[in-house]
Amino acid sequence: MKRAQEPEGRLEALSLANFRLESLADWTLAGGRAAWLRPRNLALVVCVLVAGWLVFVPLSALLYTAFTEDTGFGPGPASFRNFIEAYSSWHILRLFGNSLLFAIGTAVVTLLMGGIVAWVVERTDAPGGVLFHALALLSFAIPGLLTAMAWIFVLSPNIGWVNMVLKSVFGLKEAPMSIYTLGGMIWALSSHYFPLAYLALGPALRVLDVRLEEAALVSGARYWQVMPKITLPLLRPAILSTVLLLFMLTMSSYEVPRLIGRPARIDVFTTEIQAATQSAPPEFGIASALSLTLLCICVVAVFFYRRATRNAEAFATITGKGYMPTRIELRQWRWPVTIAVGVMFAISLGLPLLTLVWQSFYRNLAQPFMSSNAPATLENYRFILSYPIFVDAVKTSVLLAAMGASLVVALTFIMAWIAQRGVPRFGWALDSLAFTPIAIPHVIVGASVLFAYLMLPIPVYNTIWILLIAYVTMYLPYGMRFISSGLTQIHRELEEVAEVAGARMRQIFLRILLPLLAPVLLAAWIYIFVLAVRELAASVFLIGPGTHVLGTISLTMWEEGGSYGAVSALGVIQIMPLIVIVACLRWVELRVQRRSEAASAKAGAAG
Amino acid sequence: MFAIENLRKSFVAPGNTVVNAVDGISLGVETGKLLTLLGPSGCGKTTTLRCLAGLERPQSGKIVIANKTMFDSERGIFVSPSDRGIGMVFQSYAIWPHMTVFENVAFPLRVARDRRYSAAEIRDKVRRALDMVRMSGFETRPATQLSGGQQQRLAFARGLVREPQILLLDEPLSNLDAKLREQMRVELKRLQKRLGITTVYVTHDQSEALALSDEIAVFSAGRIIQRGTPQEIYRHPKSQFVADFIGSANFLAGTVKEATAADGTALVETPYGVFRCSFADAVGQGQSVLVSARPEDLALSEKSPADGLNVLAGKIAHRVFLGEVVDYLVDTGGTEIRVRTKPELDFRVGQPVHVSVAPHKCVGLAS
Repeated sequence: MKRAQEPEGRLEALSLANFRLESLADWTLAGGRAAWLRPRNLALVVCVLVAGWLVFVPLSALLYTAFTEDTGFGPGPASFRNFIEAYSSWHILRLFGNSLLFAIGTAVVTLLMGGIVAWVVERTDAPGGVLFHALALLSFAIPGLLTAMAWIFVLSPNIGWVNMVLKSVFGLKEAPMSIYTLGGMIWALSSHYFPLAYLALGPALRVLDVRLEEAALVSGARYWQVMPKITLPLLRPAILSTVLLLFMLTMSSYEVPRLIGRPARIDVFTTEIQAATQSAPPEFGIASALSLTLLCICVVAVFFYRRATRNAEAFATITGKGYMPTRIELRQWRWPVTIAVGVMFAISLGLPLLTLVWQSFYRNLAQPFMSSNAPATLENYRFILSYPIFVDAVKTSVLLAAMGASLVVALTFIMAWIAQRGVPRFGWALDSLAFTPIAIPHVIVGASVLFAYLMLPIPVYNTIWILLIAYVTMYLPYGMRFISSGLTQIHRELEEVAEVAGARMRQIFLRILLPLLAPVLLAAWIYIFVLAVRELAASVFLIGPGTHVLGTISLTMWEEGGSYGAVSALGVIQIMPLIVIVACLRWVELRVQRRSEAASAKAGAAG
Repeated sequence: MFAIENLRKSFVAPGNTVVNAVDGISLGVETGKLLTLLGPSGCGKTTTLRCLAGLERPQSGKIVIANKTMFDSERGIFVSPSDRGIGMVFQSYAIWPHMTVFENVAFPLRVARDRRYSAAEIRDKVRRALDMVRMSGFETRPATQLSGGQQQRLAFARGLVREPQILLLDEPLSNLDAKLREQMRVELKRLQKRLGITTVYVTHDQSEALALSDEIAVFSAGRIIQRGTPQEIYRHPKSQFVADFIGSANFLAGTVKEATAADGTALVETPYGVFRCSFADAVGQGQSVLVSARPEDLALSEKSPADGLNVLAGKIAHRVFLGEVVDYLVDTGGTEIRVRTKPELDFRVGQPVHVSVAPHKCVGLAS
């Protein structure tokens, strides 16, 4: 029996080998002309080249700068001097300590705050869930720079109004709280990032099968035993991935360290890298050497993050049928719980925003709801709106963000299609190329793009094009994530039936895929537009004497002594349109969601 | 063993409509028996079970398990599920994916409050529980690496390990494929009999209910509409709903021609002839009633039977060969009657036939 099977098995292997050879031949020589000239293969090659260029050219420049001597006139011979210089002082230990404490502290605080909100919204019958969800999404509209400014207005020992109020109420000599501490930095960033932790944990809590907790209850466990023994272990992958995500985001964050950390001499990697490139003479070599450490930390964090999210999926698949969400009945605690969460939102989001808006109506320092010597005025707004550099920066920022979003959406649309449909064999290459920038902090993107185009004979330095290159690189992963998941929702048969009906590639793209994907593309576009308009960390490296963006002029105005009122007005002018845009984004996303739900409900009914 | 009195539980459904999931139910069962709560989805059977477990808090009523009041709306008593001493198996099994097979089963012992179990005792009890469901040797397996059938056995072992006084089963077999389900049904019945554990079983599957139960309570719209042994429920349904939901039945509407006689039968006039049927409760002349007969209780013949009683004439409209039985659809000129016969009797489509039914198998329902 075994003998008889053997030749057959070999034959099978042979024919398989033949098939592979044939398909390879097919791929290289189909139809008499080289197959790589076929449009989809050509598109694949072009996409790989473009994305590869965007990702690897700056990184190579960074490595080259790091491992060569910094001559002041560009890189010199290979050497380790940059590393020796960057890592041989005691200062580097402080840098490590500050960065890690800042990142871990923020991750823990946001996890606690976000976890509480997620639990209340997803697992209890406390009212207000919809409102909290909307507030969490809207917080995304507020640029980090403005959050940092607002917290300085609130909690600075000199000008913070809460400190002043506390001093006068309790008759204190010293300000009781200071934003210019590591704790202050953690708080300022956590107030900005905790909605992210909520958005990351919410879905995990939503899909958690309540039966698993009920099974523990009927097994004799008390309510307080269920949380540590069942719920938290089940959520471990989600908690771990949230912590890693926030750790990474904090490690790469720039606004809070720049505005709060630097005056307080609490340096972290991002500010130190930026300071090195701006020092006189600029120390590009040291900046690169520091960047590599930060990059390594982030790459490791991303690696574990992706592993944790994969585990989360393996955990989720075990939930069986007959799932019915049951919410914990809080009874008399419903409103107290809602009010507590509401107060949390009011303090972390409402307080800084209110302060900023209030201040924008006064030229000099003002305290919300307190009588001021001067009357409220629109002078600040008038000043900002007629300030030529501001108008210029708005134009540049909007133009750049629109161009960046359009380019990213177009590029990732083609990349996602090729990865999933066109040439799925090489899809992984495009996927990993597009996702690589997620691990690169914006500060490093800014620095390495700067180094690359200072060396290369491409005249983009000191123009808006160098900013555009950086933006497209940074937002590739976001575009890819949106469009990839959108594309998986569109059944392949919808394209195939068009092909059978006689449509050509271009027609399938324009008449089938584009209309079906339109809401997803729009959502991706808006999302990237918002991110790009508020961008600061990479832009500070790339602006030149003739180019300004919104983020950089806000920073300059703050640091170079614009009046408190004018700076606040500048912030409010940025936040208001962003809130409107984010609301639009939410609306588009809801439409996409509803459509896919309707489609799956129909598929379920048919099955 | 347990007693439920006048239990009520309502939910606020989306759109702010109030749904009376459980609408004044009273129920009980003797020690060691298996009681099935049977009904279509949304009839309140699962809610009743969850109230019994303490996972839902009813609005009113009383629940007593093993002489201990677990819930009493008047006295404001509510015992938490962890203190009710029950075992439960969920439809989704609810196996904890972050624990091994051993830890899943050991959990109820580890959190027990009535006494502390030593490590050796826990090992021993878990081994016995796993033995019982034939899962020995799987102790160190992560729970995520079990098949559906294994997860289900594991769920039983976890439910039984504390030797609870009452076992609650919420559609435990519905996620298994047909073959495995039948096998587990036999095993479950054997296990329950051997342990002599009082069991409440929720299902929407009538054949499961008939095969497993000592007693069945048929639910509809939050109320119990009939209780009895499987035989009683099957043989003597008291309403069209029960007759139709358990097994299948033919129905003819008619009026009583001759009131209930001493033998419990009455004569009913229908548009298709006069039928003598047995009634559970006495009916009076002129009352409108339903005549119901199960397809397998009907006989087919070419010639009209000699006594000429309970006969319908018609034509074979459709024939379905199912192997062990043959189903016919007989067109009686206005209504179609389903008949199930042995395959030895062979009728052609279009052939004129007579359908007859014995009076004691012809059930009259006061509608």
